[in-house]
Amino acid sequence: MATDLKSIIPNANAAELELVARYAMRGEDPRRERAFSAFAASGLPHRRMEAWRWSDFRAALPALEAPEGAGAVDPFSALSGPLIEISASQYKLPSELPAGMRLIERADADVFAPAEKMPLGALTAALAGRKGAPASLVIEVTEPVAEPLRIVARSDRSEANIARITVLVRPGAHLDLIESHLGGAGFSSYLLDLTLQAGASATRTLYQIGAGDEAQAITANVEAAAEARFTQTALAFGAKIARIETRLTHQETGSHAVLNAAYLAAKGRHVDLTSHIRHGAEACTTRQLTKGAVLAGGRGIFQGKFMVPRKVGQRTDAAMQHHALLLEYGAEVFAKPELEIYADDVECAHGNTCGALDGDQLFYLRQRGIPETEAKALLTQAFVTEALESAPDLAAEILRAAAEAWLLGK
Amino acid sequence: MLNLNDLHASVGEGDEARPILKGLSLEVPAGEVHAIMGPNGAGKSTLSYVLTGREGYEVTSGTATLNGENILEMEPEARAAAGLFLSFQYPVEIPGVPVMTFVRTAMNAQRKLRGEEEISAPDFIKKAREVGGQLNLNAEMLKRPVNVGFSGGEKKRLEIFQMMMLEPRFAILDETDSGLDIDALKTVAAGVNALRAPDRGMLVITHYQRLLDHIKPDRVHVLSAGRIVKSGGPELALRLEEEGYDGVIGEAA
Ligand SMILES: Nc1ncnc2c1ncn2[C@@H]1O[C@H](COP(=O)(O)OP(=O)(O)OP(=O)(O)O)[C@@H](O)[C@H]1O
Ligand SMILES: [Mg+2]
Repeated sequence: MATDLKSIIPNANAAELELVARYAMRGEDPRRERAFSAFAASGLPHRRMEAWRWSDFRAALPALEAPEGAGAVDPFSALSGPLIEISASQYKLPSELPAGMRLIERADADVFAPAEKMPLGALTAALAGRKGAPASLVIEVTEPVAEPLRIVARSDRSEANIARITVLVRPGAHLDLIESHLGGAGFSSYLLDLTLQAGASATRTLYQIGAGDEAQAITANVEAAAEARFTQTALAFGAKIARIETRLTHQETGSHAVLNAAYLAAKGRHVDLTSHIRHGAEACTTRQLTKGAVLAGGRGIFQGKFMVPRKVGQRTDAAMQHHALLLEYGAEVFAKPELEIYADDVECAHGNTCGALDGDQLFYLRQRGIPETEAKALLTQAFVTEALESAPDLAAEILRAAAEAWLLGK
Repeated sequence: MLNLNDLHASVGEGDEARPILKGLSLEVPAGEVHAIMGPNGAGKSTLSYVLTGREGYEVTSGTATLNGENILEMEPEARAAAGLFLSFQYPVEIPGVPVMTFVRTAMNAQRKLRGEEEISAPDFIKKAREVGGQLNLNAEMLKRPVNVGFSGGEKKRLEIFQMMMLEPRFAILDETDSGLDIDALKTVAAGVNALRAPDRGMLVITHYQRLLDHIKPDRVHVLSAGRIVKSGGPELALRLEEEGYDGVIGEAA
């Protein structure tokens, strides 16, 4: 079997060979097999694939090697509530769960439906799960839960940290999910399947940070049923390469989604925010605001797509905004906003800008006595943190403080 | 206090550079308020930017000192900390930064640059309430982002609010009266007059005598084509109103 697999990815690099070897060590499972084949069709995604032209994981990840440092500090550590810790592909589960929340471990891997469209999600679906332990981890929420569920992915110099979590929010239930993706592995890949049933709601708050010798992939597939509410807010600092990719489907009438993100990329950091929203039912709404600021030698990428099919997408109301600041000469931002609309009774707006800080504003602040560095930090913070306001209050405050610390040079 | 001697300055860079100030000399002693009047495009705002250190405004020769200190070599924030304040002709909107945060940041930044202690939060709020009250700026407005959604007159009042909060040693008011209604003009003038002090100077740029009825200047200067072409007492402003610039400048030339 191993020899067959070796040739499954043509011209595989050392990282791909290692991933193939890890897959070969798993027991047979048709669902994993489908996911792995979907991944193997391309191998690690690379620049010749349209959706990955700015984020070449194959080039950034020649081999699976432990990074020099451990993962970063979790900014949410003071928050109470159940905690799932993921390191080097092992899960540490909470001993107690609040009422209305259940943890189910299953022997079989879950199907990952969009495997063919999300190669790193597929890879994660194929590999995730502890050895000799249940293959999937499902969190079921049956009523509104006040305490947030925190997921912290952080390794201490491991080669890879590959994990998958499935969340199911039952009708009328509510969950606040807070994820910290702190790196510490040469390759961290995380997959979230989130299903919101009729009238369910969830917030998802993400904090991502990684070192200059780490690759991170954070993939999510979200399905929203009738009248469901979903609010995602991310603060991302990037890594050698980092991609936060979210695929959301409005499956039934009247669901509402907010997908906001702020990214801050320093020298040697690459951060990619990619999303695909499908308005697969009538009268659903999407609000998306992504704001970024990039320093010299940093790279920010925004790819957003709204897909509104002809028959089912009527009365869609969707808006996509991406605005980036190039803080220094040598900063790079690439953006691809896409609206693919086939229905006619639709309101879809989008805006995309990229520029430097406003000289008039900067002078105004300095004339009042605020030194240049501080003035730039203040303006940049005001600019990007608009995108963080959608997070639940406490979490938003923590994200704002993290952004501010970064802007003032830690 | 403020001494400008044969100041030449140009706007723009390289081949685009265009001389605007062409040998401007002016002295405002401590405790005095001087008015500058002059036709559109004469260089009044340019002078205010040159003095506050705006990028793109280059001094090619001449000197400018505040209390004997050469301000031309200083960064804009250092000039502010040295006590120089500009009420902008066109105040800038700063989305996402509430007025209170902004003014407090500015005040503490200046104090830090001067080696002074920060103002405490309660002291700051108390002062802001007092000053806001004098200028008819309510608490709700002070929570809004700087100048965002403010009317023209409100923006000018907010400039004066900042001036009264920061208590600069030398203030330049660039057409602060434009856009103000009759009542606001009085409130603003009262604020400016309240700041008059033996160790403080002011330069009031205006087109209209109206403001000078409320803020009595010690001297009036006419700025035309980058130079002070005529100076006099408050009566000069009245003459300008009657005879226009052509009459008065024609006589000077
Ligand atoms: N950034 C700039 N680039 C090019 N020209 C400029 C710039 N700033 C000022 N100028 C020019 O300099 C001259 C003086 O402008 P300034 O704004 O100082 O006039 P002013 O006396 O304040 O006029 P007003 O009474 O209309 O406010 C004008 O001809 C103006 O067009
Ligand atoms: Mg002017």
